[in-house]
Amino acid sequence: MSILNKQDELTRRQFVSNAAKTYLGVGLAPLLGATLAGRSFAQSAGSKSSAEAVIFLNMSGGMSHIDTFDIKPSKKEVQGPVEAINTNADGIQISQYLPKTAAVMDKICIIRSMTSQNGAHDRGQYALHRSYSPRGTIVHPTLGAWTMKLKGRKNKEIPGFVTVGGGSANASAGFFGVKYAGVPLGRADEGLKDSTRASSVNEEDFGRRLKLADALNKGFHAQHKNTEAAAYDELYNEAVRLMRSDDLKAFDISKESGSSKKAYGENSFGQGCLLARRLVEHGVRYVEVNLGGWDTHYDNFTAVEARCNVLDQAYASLLIELEAKGLLDTTMVVLCSEFGRSPNIVAEHNNGRDHHPAAFCSVLAGGGIKGGTVYGSTDSKGDRVKKDKVTIQDLNATIAHGLGMDVSAVLHSPSGRPFQVAHKGKPVTRLFS
Amino acid sequence: MRDFTPSTNSLRPQLRNICLSAKSLACSLVILPLTVSVEAAPTDENKKAEPVTEEKLLAAAHQIDVQVGKIFKKKGISVPETASDSVFLRRSFLLAVGRIPTVEEARVFIESGDPNKRVLIVRYLMKSKGYQSHMGNWMVDMLRVRDNFGNNRTAAPYTQWVRKAVAENRPYDQITRELLSAKGAIWENGAVGYYIRDKGMPLDNMSNTMRLFLGTRMECAQCHDHPFDDWERMDFYKLAAFTNGQNEINRGVYNTAYRAIREAKEERTPVGRMIRYFGDEIYYGSVAGGGTGRIKLPGDYQYNDGDPGEWVNAHTPYEKSFGKGVRLSKRRDSDDGLERFANWVTDAKNARFATIITNRMWKRIIGTGLFEPVDEYVAPEETTSPELTRHVAELMQELNYDLRAFQHVLMLTRVYAFDSSIKELSPGEKPIFDGRKISRMSAEQYWDSLVTLIAGNPDKLPTRGVSNAIYYGNKPVLVGEMDMATLQKEVLAIDSPKALKKYAQDLLTRIQKGTRSGGKKNKDMMMRGRGGRGALKGIARASELSSPAPKGHVLQIFGQSDRLLLDSATKEANATQVLSMMNGQVEKLVVANSEAHIHRLSQGSVQDRIRSLFLGTLSRAPSAQEMKLMEAEIAARGDAGYRNIISALVNTREFIFIP
Repeated sequence: MSILNKQDELTRRQFVSNAAKTYLGVGLAPLLGATLAGRSFAQSAGSKSSAEAVIFLNMSGGMSHIDTFDIKPSKKEVQGPVEAINTNADGIQISQYLPKTAAVMDKICIIRSMTSQNGAHDRGQYALHRSYSPRGTIVHPTLGAWTMKLKGRKNKEIPGFVTVGGGSANASAGFFGVKYAGVPLGRADEGLKDSTRASSVNEEDFGRRLKLADALNKGFHAQHKNTEAAAYDELYNEAVRLMRSDDLKAFDISKESGSSKKAYGENSFGQGCLLARRLVEHGVRYVEVNLGGWDTHYDNFTAVEARCNVLDQAYASLLIELEAKGLLDTTMVVLCSEFGRSPNIVAEHNNGRDHHPAAFCSVLAGGGIKGGTVYGSTDSKGDRVKKDKVTIQDLNATIAHGLGMDVSAVLHSPSGRPFQVAHKGKPVTRLFS
Repeated sequence: MRDFTPSTNSLRPQLRNICLSAKSLACSLVILPLTVSVEAAPTDENKKAEPVTEEKLLAAAHQIDVQVGKIFKKKGISVPETASDSVFLRRSFLLAVGRIPTVEEARVFIESGDPNKRVLIVRYLMKSKGYQSHMGNWMVDMLRVRDNFGNNRTAAPYTQWVRKAVAENRPYDQITRELLSAKGAIWENGAVGYYIRDKGMPLDNMSNTMRLFLGTRMECAQCHDHPFDDWERMDFYKLAAFTNGQNEINRGVYNTAYRAIREAKEERTPVGRMIRYFGDEIYYGSVAGGGTGRIKLPGDYQYNDGDPGEWVNAHTPYEKSFGKGVRLSKRRDSDDGLERFANWVTDAKNARFATIITNRMWKRIIGTGLFEPVDEYVAPEETTSPELTRHVAELMQELNYDLRAFQHVLMLTRVYAFDSSIKELSPGEKPIFDGRKISRMSAEQYWDSLVTLIAGNPDKLPTRGVSNAIYYGNKPVLVGEMDMATLQKEVLAIDSPKALKKYAQDLLTRIQKGTRSGGKKNKDMMMRGRGGRGALKGIARASELSSPAPKGHVLQIFGQSDRLLLDSATKEANATQVLSMMNGQVEKLVVANSEAHIHRLSQGSVQDRIRSLFLGTLSRAPSAQEMKLMEAEIAARGDAGYRNIISALVNTREFIFIP
């Protein structure tokens, strides 16, 4: 099978070379050097950026900041039935729904001054992942795809960008092309589905099939010259390489101990976080895990409590295990939502809360982030940002900066339009120790 | 050779199995005779629709060709080549019925010498069950219809309503009107699902409505004046006023009853559970209030034209293309806000309504929209050919918003039949409709095509069951005695918490009695699958499976919409799709499954068998060179060679891209 591997290698290089010319208008050198990056930038900013990997926990639907990380216990009419609890970090209180998280607050930095312009889920999620607003004429790459583009893979054998749960849009590489796209996994317990050869076919026949398909594809490509169709060629090469890799076990959480599985919670988000930790251990650079159900217009407190139970257990276990394995210093764990929820409790909707983009929270830990800290604040109702405003773009710039990317680098789309990793976001360098 | 026998109106399955050789196969594809008129969609109100004959459809198609011809002439380009029969066939099946043709269907069509066969095949497809399934998927996607409303509250009546509206080919303006003005109990009027789906978020519902039906993006104006468009936050609230004041029917009765249950700590008692069940399955699925037509500005209202908490009246935004405006009073509540709004949206003078649905259908069949994205209205003057855009929007209205007839017309045009084009539009360039660009199958098209390889024509497979049985504790109860519609009607009519509790107790007693006596009937009902209300598992069309498909299903891997947000289906490629095609369901259910239709139809000489595999997967015969290559494969590998060929064919780009 060495011939096949060689062919893979050849196409891959050709692809990289073409991609470099098309997308960057530059030669091959910087890309193959794996980074266009910004060690020098990072140093000049006067802060340490030590992350090699990111685990992004996407709280989709709009997580209530008031009922989680920006608690307002003195204002009953805003807070409703939720109470504040102390954490293991002096002077920081969070919601009673998050007791396990409270016990690891010393590793965590809460940003309480997030703000966004997007009050609709789709636009909010789009901006959270891609830093830009959706446009009819272009699809922007996600931060994971930017990471692949600017940093490259750490472990060359397996994909460097994986999403667990949530829509496959979160794995999109947009105009970068599928080479930089993430691998979207539906369920953590199924891992990378269908990644081994079926028992009904032997190695020889498997190889023959690939060759036959290649032969059939030649005429098709010659006739249609379609980039989306050609993208699949690259994916086939990638998939075959992956099938033969020893590191495939990175995707298999059945190899984890029963106690680990239990610790994270036996639900899809919990197992997703366990898989994320396993993937990072094996050198995957960017993992996103989705937890939906935060759109609590209706019966907010019942729903938020249930979501928090799932989140709390998985999140605290993730930080504890990453630290125990010595990975927390190099892995930035980011938790964020597309927006927060209104201080106003809507009685007619069984005590629901509506969307609230003006003020919300994000939560960071590891990868050089100073733990036991709070950055920024909202007013007494959690309605408006009072101090140290952080936009979605600033958050993404902070993550990019943490990974050592140059946030000022400008790349061009195939049609020649200029784009930056976090749009015009500025990294909040004060968060790093 | 007579290829299409004008006798009955459906494919005859028993014939199909007999007629395997190429010549006699022609007899199996029985298509309606040309002279029979295509009946128009039933219309509401007093509009008397004249039956649309095929002659009329053809004439309408010709007029579109003339319009597009003018574009070519103006740009000085020559008329593109017409696609081959194979391409026409594959394209038509995938676009009209959402799947590839079977071996038999492909063979009959390609080998037929009937000069009229393209017209005939389009008619056959538009009349088939496959059209209903595929078009239903489109509408379910557009409306984000999920099998439940969250917390396992069933949305079955809504799903059934939408699927039925499409199956009956109800006019699109009527469907829209029925959805937007819906009120009452869901088991009586499934259309209320449109509002129940977005319960608690009437503002989001309104911005979705404006985007879906009128191509007007107002979601930004929910919170602030629109940065690029003309819409202001005030415009948005004046729209939201139309649908304001919706509530659940007699919700207060339930609230009081359940509060008492909670205070008595009876949540886990049988009566407590039953009342909670009423809350989730009976009250939740109801809409009271026809729209008050006025609304209070929100607490964070930030502009000079109004104060927080101030009442504003319902008023449609001013813009010529919306047609005649509607306003209601801000002094008192109305009860017809929904109806007035629904009428305004679908009014014949509302150019946006006609244009948006026209463009959606145009893009669906012709491949490139008159403008894109399809949910952002562009005035005809700004499109490639204002004349063409106006013409097709008028055609949509002349056809009384009969979406099937409209798509039928488009599929009869020469424009539709052009060979695929490889031209990519540069930014800002307007489309000229010189041929479809190839595009990857949607998740549903891919899955239904696999089902076709496995089981042949999926129209013959079992369909999602329709059940209005009462499911309590995941089991059907009181079967034959009472259904959901009756239960809901009775419960919603109860006007005191005390009476509600009494009703719950009586119902529990009845159920208990029922389980003791009427065993058999219940068991039969249960066979249909637990709680799924008829959704199937396994080998069935996407439309018959749960919505959305379960995590990890092929449909999800290939980008089916999660039906949470608008437009979230994707055709983007990723590695999991490739693994699935090489090692997953394709291998298990098609390649290694000797019972699969594609295997069973592969009979005769080596060449016959290879030809059959090509027809069944790619809808074309192999070229001489391909035949040689495949023969060599069989010589080298024997029977395993056929499996290798099928796997290779399904794993080609040609298989997953629509020509």
